[in-house]
Amino acid sequence: MKISVDHPRCEGHGLCADQAPDVFSLDDEAELTYHFEGTDVPDEHRPAARAAVNACPVAALRVLS
Amino acid sequence: MPVRTEIPVYHPDLYAASAIRDTYPHYAALRDLGPVVRLSKHKVYALPRYAECKQVLLDDDTFVSSGGVGLNPVANRVGQGTTLCSDGEEHARRRSLLAHRLTPRALRAMKDTVEQQAAAVVEAAVARRTVDAVEVATALPMSVVPDLVGWPQQGREHLLRWAGAAFDALGPFNRQAVRALPASLGMLRYARGVVRDRSVLDGSMGDDLLRASEEGRIMPAECATMMLDYLAPSLDTTISAISSALHLFATHPEQWRLLKADPGLVPKAVNEVVRYESPIRAFGRIAARDTELAGVPLAEGSRVLVLYGSANRDPLEWDDPDTFDIRRDAARQLGFGQGTHGCAGQGLARMETSAILHALLERVDRIEVTGTPEWALNNIIHCLERLPLELIPA
Repeated sequence: MKISVDHPRCEGHGLCADQAPDVFSLDDEAELTYHFEGTDVPDEHRPAARAAVNACPVAALRVLS
Repeated sequence: MPVRTEIPVYHPDLYAASAIRDTYPHYAALRDLGPVVRLSKHKVYALPRYAECKQVLLDDDTFVSSGGVGLNPVANRVGQGTTLCSDGEEHARRRSLLAHRLTPRALRAMKDTVEQQAAAVVEAAVARRTVDAVEVATALPMSVVPDLVGWPQQGREHLLRWAGAAFDALGPFNRQAVRALPASLGMLRYARGVVRDRSVLDGSMGDDLLRASEEGRIMPAECATMMLDYLAPSLDTTISAISSALHLFATHPEQWRLLKADPGLVPKAVNEVVRYESPIRAFGRIAARDTELAGVPLAEGSRVLVLYGSANRDPLEWDDPDTFDIRRDAARQLGFGQGTHGCAGQGLARMETSAILHALLERVDRIEVTGTPEWALNNIIHCLERLPLELIPA
């Protein structure tokens, strides 16, 4: 599973990091870091990653495959 | 997918007083009829299920807002020039102007103040012991939002009435919407005066707008409508969420005990409250081209109605949707909308609601309903009007 992050669209609400702390984190400036940029989300984090995509308030996250 | 030609029709009026006060049976009936249901009374296609609501909210190229998100032409005309009723680049430009005020970083700077004010509100309520929960719920947003937006002290006494009317007027052209229109226009007139007299508070969001106008980033006329964008939706909605939280914890004491035992559940509880009693009933979108939804063909210009409150109770999406359970993962609820038009102030709303809950957890042992709750009559806002409670101190 690959996820795309639309950084300009992200407003830093942080619901993804609540849902999948191993996949997403926000720094003090509310800048989002996606820990699996350009690679596959490991199997064990997939359900959480999917929940994070579903919870994003501004739809900045998308499951690519 | 096969194209269905027969679209189910629902005849009862979703905006009749009885349907506003007792709305969930209507939503259940609509969900049973299908994913797209024609409301004969209002000539719109209601979307009562989660999947189609979400699909429409995320596809803002096909389902647009610039024709207005209300159900009558007068309100949709008044709404022109707001962020709520714009699309594409124009929407992005308007939203970006003020969104930086509502980022987690900007909100963090307000956190201490909001928590102190929440503590003061709850302390005063506990001292009185018997209270109207809606009054308690009103105090915090009213002490936070007008300052943030920069509304001058003079005129604040009208804000609540105006903000409620601004929503009410977005319903179909029923008696309530007609009654609400003058107050809704009154708010716009006042906002224009505030912009003309430059009487916004220094350093506020309104101040940002005036500067953006001076620098030519927005038209002067946009200043007033955009001030309404941020003021009108930030009062009743949060008041609804806080009142509903008090009501739900009073009527579900086992959930209150869960929260007392683990205050770490507060963020989940806020999502569950907004899922269970979604503050906004529904907004519309217009199909920008011929399209189809769940196999149902929709012609260009069709108006669809996103029923947030129904999507959040859809059994196809939620286990036991009519059960209030703060342990549930309700982060994907649609009460704040989602996507491009997702509520810009949801961080603030979450902060205010959480602050009240934490203040209650520290000071209150039990919450008991002492009289009959009454739901407010508003076409759009689902909010209690009166909720007599006793707060039994810890």
